[in-house]
Amino acid sequence: MSFGGLHTDHRAIVAVAAIVFLVLTLVMAVLPALREQARPALAAVTPRGGEAELGRQVYMREGCGFCHTQFVRDLPMDRPFGRPSRASDYALEDPPMLGTERTGPDLADVGTRQPSDAWHLIHLYDPRAVVPQSVMPAYRWYFVEKAQAEPGDVVAPVPADHAPRGKVIVAGPDAKALVRYLLSLKQAKGSP
Amino acid sequence: MRDPGLVAAPSADAATVRVTFEYVAWATVWLLVGTTIGLIASIKLHWPEFLPYAWLSFGRVRPAHTSLVLLGWASHALVGLSLYVVSRTSRVPLWSPRLARIALWLWNLALLGGLVTLLAGVNRGPQEYREWVWPLAVILAAAVLIDGYVAYRTVAARTLPEVYVSNWYILGGFCYLPILYVTSYLPFYQAGLGNTVVAGYYMHNAMGMWFTQLALGVSYYAIPRLLGRPVYSYALGVLGFWTNLLFYPLIGAHHFIFSPVPWWLQSTAILFSVGMMVPVWAGTGNLLLTFKGGGGAVRRSYALPFLVTGLIGYGLSSTQGTIEAFRTANIYLHFTNFTVGHSHATMYGFITFIAWGAVYGLVPRLTGREPSPLAVGVHFWLALVGVLTYVIAISIAGILQGLAWVAGQSFIVSVIAAEPMWLWRTIGGLLMVGGHVVFAANVWAMRPQRATVPTPSPNAVGIPA
Repeated sequence: MSFGGLHTDHRAIVAVAAIVFLVLTLVMAVLPALREQARPALAAVTPRGGEAELGRQVYMREGCGFCHTQFVRDLPMDRPFGRPSRASDYALEDPPMLGTERTGPDLADVGTRQPSDAWHLIHLYDPRAVVPQSVMPAYRWYFVEKAQAEPGDVVAPVPADHAPRGKVIVAGPDAKALVRYLLSLKQAKGSP
Repeated sequence: MRDPGLVAAPSADAATVRVTFEYVAWATVWLLVGTTIGLIASIKLHWPEFLPYAWLSFGRVRPAHTSLVLLGWASHALVGLSLYVVSRTSRVPLWSPRLARIALWLWNLALLGGLVTLLAGVNRGPQEYREWVWPLAVILAAAVLIDGYVAYRTVAARTLPEVYVSNWYILGGFCYLPILYVTSYLPFYQAGLGNTVVAGYYMHNAMGMWFTQLALGVSYYAIPRLLGRPVYSYALGVLGFWTNLLFYPLIGAHHFIFSPVPWWLQSTAILFSVGMMVPVWAGTGNLLLTFKGGGGAVRRSYALPFLVTGLIGYGLSSTQGTIEAFRTANIYLHFTNFTVGHSHATMYGFITFIAWGAVYGLVPRLTGREPSPLAVGVHFWLALVGVLTYVIAISIAGILQGLAWVAGQSFIVSVIAAEPMWLWRTIGGLLMVGGHVVFAANVWAMRPQRATVPTPSPNAVGIPA
């Protein structure tokens, strides 16, 4: 039996397979990606800077995006999370963190939905202090436990039954930055 | 065409044997580490205060688990077996066992670096299966290229005119992975949503253009070899190879349905997800039909049950994947744990079982030592009951999450609904990891004897080697 001569020619098998795969890679990945990356951001969107950018690094370090999407679909069940996401929403994001799994809620517009930094600080120190059934990790390593707060300290107002007895919980720089980032997650208004 | 493995061949040379075994042994190490980490991740979902340390927090162990089991366990096991298969089907010793060993150590270096950096929180963000920072990716790519070159030169040196169908798949896999991997790391087209387009392409093709290729390549050798009869249809094997190449790269965008990724890309992905039924059932059917009338051999062998399970896993889990791609199914199942169930059905129910079957079927023939059939049986049942418990529990969790969301309930309802199933998932995972410990003991029992020329032993089926 013959398969167009390929059957006995290892060079031809490898060459044809590689060329076909390269062409499909171009058509299905590289060219559409080039087109998508050319989409401009909305005028209202400004690059994130300073503390919020540091917070984005913390968000990536902790792999928050494995449980939280930043991607609202045009489906009724996604309405609570904001308006449907558009390509322009991600123009300045590197990498964009749309995500593939929602063990926790979507965060595309969390800065609008939950604007309280006190809430976020408590939630990061101990998620179960604000949502008893939450399974989110507690990020205690971004906080310092002190006997009493010093001037300039940002205190996380953790309920007494969720903090060590007689201690105040002071947010470290990474916790403050992460909250800045979360509050910066707001869907831009205006037409795409 | 006769399966070349069936023709009396000189016994494998000691160097090929050793390097094959080293790959299998390191695969086993990464399996143990990677799945223990997976178990930790699983426990954290129903016991969030378990091991509350930064280096072991969920968001860090999750990519450590996936990268170790994919790039460590499954890749090492299949590469080791593939190098043996290209050598045997070409009837020549491996072209350069030395280079293959260098590739193994580069690969191990990348894996160790990947493990440490991911646990330390050094990563490229939640970009599935490409979380490693680029220097580690370069080391890994070099290892894959070296292994691919060794496989290619071995096939080029073959003493038969035909390139056996296994080698189509194996050489194909070694061609595709470097292209895929480099495409996924180059930054020039990955600003903004461009990154997401590439993410869909990469995370999906990493499965079908690498693991599936090598697993089928190994199966097309191991199954006829263990049964002592030629593969049912050589032509179906080749059809599967080409249709997989034409359809698979088109379907990655089905991970981003209802996203701002271009609608035509999503629709093409759904269409060809259906097209994938051609190579999937050509491969599954072809290899299962090779068993026709061989039921006795399956009952007497300890390796064949793994291969049969893996083939059934291939057909069923791929069909499940096609169904998940439909927009209607996607509404209920996307973002849920159902996807996690699917990825374990494929990577474990298909790829891992094939790798185990091939290890148990081939390694004793090349080292001359067999594990205890009882221990292999214990491994088989722990792994099978474990993965069934895992996949069923996590799929139910996914369906419950989807129903809660569609019903418009507050988000925490979906967490509460899934939590009992997460406990069951851990129970399944415990059985799986227990099976892996038994597997490790069995690999140790099959180790080559030092400084002796291995003689092929009669295998469980009793075909002369």
